Amino acid sequence: MSPILTALVLAIWAYICVYDMLAPMFILANRPLIAGFVTGLIVGDVQTGMLIGGTLELMSLGVYTYGGATVPDYTVGAILGTYFGKGGNFDIGIALAVPAALLLTQVDILNRFLNFVYVHKADRFAEEGDDKGFERMMVWTSHIIWGLSRAIPVFLAVAFGEPVVKGVSSFFEAFPWINKGITAAGGLLPAIGFAMLLKILPVEKYPAFLLLGFVLFAYLKMPLLGIALFGVAVAGIFQYVKYQKQEA
Amino acid sequence: MATKAKITHADIMKCFWRYIFMSQCGWNYERMQSVGYCYSMLPVLKKMHPDPEDFKEAFITNLNFFNTNPVVGTPLIMGAHIALEEAGASYDTTEGLKVGLMGPLAGVGDTLVWALYNSIIFSIAAIMALNGNAMGPIMAMVLVFFPYMAIRYWQITWAYKEGTHLLTSIGSGAIGRITEFATIVGLIVIGGFAPSIVSLTTPLAYSQGAVINGETVTQTVTVQAQLDAILPYMLPVLATFLCYWLLKKKSWSPVKVILMLVVIGFIGGALGIFG
Repeated sequence: MSPILTALVLAIWAYICVYDMLAPMFILANRPLIAGFVTGLIVGDVQTGMLIGGTLELMSLGVYTYGGATVPDYTVGAILGTYFGKGGNFDIGIALAVPAALLLTQVDILNRFLNFVYVHKADRFAEEGDDKGFERMMVWTSHIIWGLSRAIPVFLAVAFGEPVVKGVSSFFEAFPWINKGITAAGGLLPAIGFAMLLKILPVEKYPAFLLLGFVLFAYLKMPLLGIALFGVAVAGIFQYVKYQKQEA
Repeated sequence: MATKAKITHADIMKCFWRYIFMSQCGWNYERMQSVGYCYSMLPVLKKMHPDPEDFKEAFITNLNFFNTNPVVGTPLIMGAHIALEEAGASYDTTEGLKVGLMGPLAGVGDTLVWALYNSIIFSIAAIMALNGNAMGPIMAMVLVFFPYMAIRYWQITWAYKEGTHLLTSIGSGAIGRITEFATIVGLIVIGGFAPSIVSLTTPLAYSQGAVINGETVTQTVTVQAQLDAILPYMLPVLATFLCYWLLKKKSWSPVKVILMLVVIGFIGGALGIFG
């Protein structure tokens, strides 16, 4: 594929990822693992797609837009990271993915703001009782601002970013400590996702459960799926005992 | 306002598919999911309000602020709302239902779906993908598609059947119990997943000369081994709690904490303190 064609296809994929997140949630294409995996299929390097997507997935685990708060765009990060990391350039890919995700945070605020247009147009349609007009607006335009806010940066980066990336990669070779820094930062980033999860859970009320999970992994070396199943069992027992007492 | 029109299964499905394809489109800071919700409900609103002036009022009313969890939340509210429309309820009642349910359901839905279910399947899938196993992402997609479709379809049909009883059955503590269950699983999972996924170690070591049996021997002590002896995974645990403290007690925004982690991680890694 010529670079412009690839840029176009990846821009469309970015649009689909946004749309899938907004409504259908058929495959959660906005998750970096999925966004990266499919990008890998498109550019013919599934392994890199899985490596970049998997790494960003773990970095962003638990980082959600609870109630519309803005977070970095790891979706676009995964698409661009996979594209520029293909062919064994994982380090370059991941090093570009994180700044790209952070830069697009501002774009997210902008598109959520610009979406005022739809609600104000909807008010006018409602006052005129024009449900057909409102339906046309919803089906054809209500996802355009959000979709293009991701598709355009992806298109520009893929179509015109190559020289920049070449410069970055020679810079990397000259200064190996940059890679070490990026690797360490990547390992540390998942801490924010877990912290965000803890923030929405009543940690202070039930600290013992947190400790239980830690012991299972740190001392008993239990695999993750085992810990999750254990959690389900403990929650079941806890509620059985608790509500048994109340009913008796 | 009571009308003779009956809601059929086909009407519910019309709303359901509109919701599936548009629920959060047009999301904005002012009224969040309002346009998507209104769009999803229009077929029923139109059928139950045949008078054009009356329909206009229903249309305007349903553009009010709306925001809840779009997976576990919106379809439940829609089902109950459809039942109320069929019963000829007033706008006060239907708006009261939406406002009364969207807050609690957002809490339950975010915990169950975002925090718990997604985190578990996607962390396991990501680890499979990092090992080069394409079944990881494929399994994740399958485990999203079918359960998400099933839970969303079930909610709208169940809530419609429960109708006006929904508020009482939810008020009876069912939501409280589900949330408590999810909270316990969530805490156990985070307790185990956080140290396994956050990776922070130090290669720092120091050497000291010691005289053993008259010979000078150089002993190398690695800091990581010392830390592990006190508490395994001590650095990842401390990093996670630092972030939690900054978010919760210092009210930092997630982006600010992320930038801090990038800076600390990068400098530490570049200088050889971490790695």
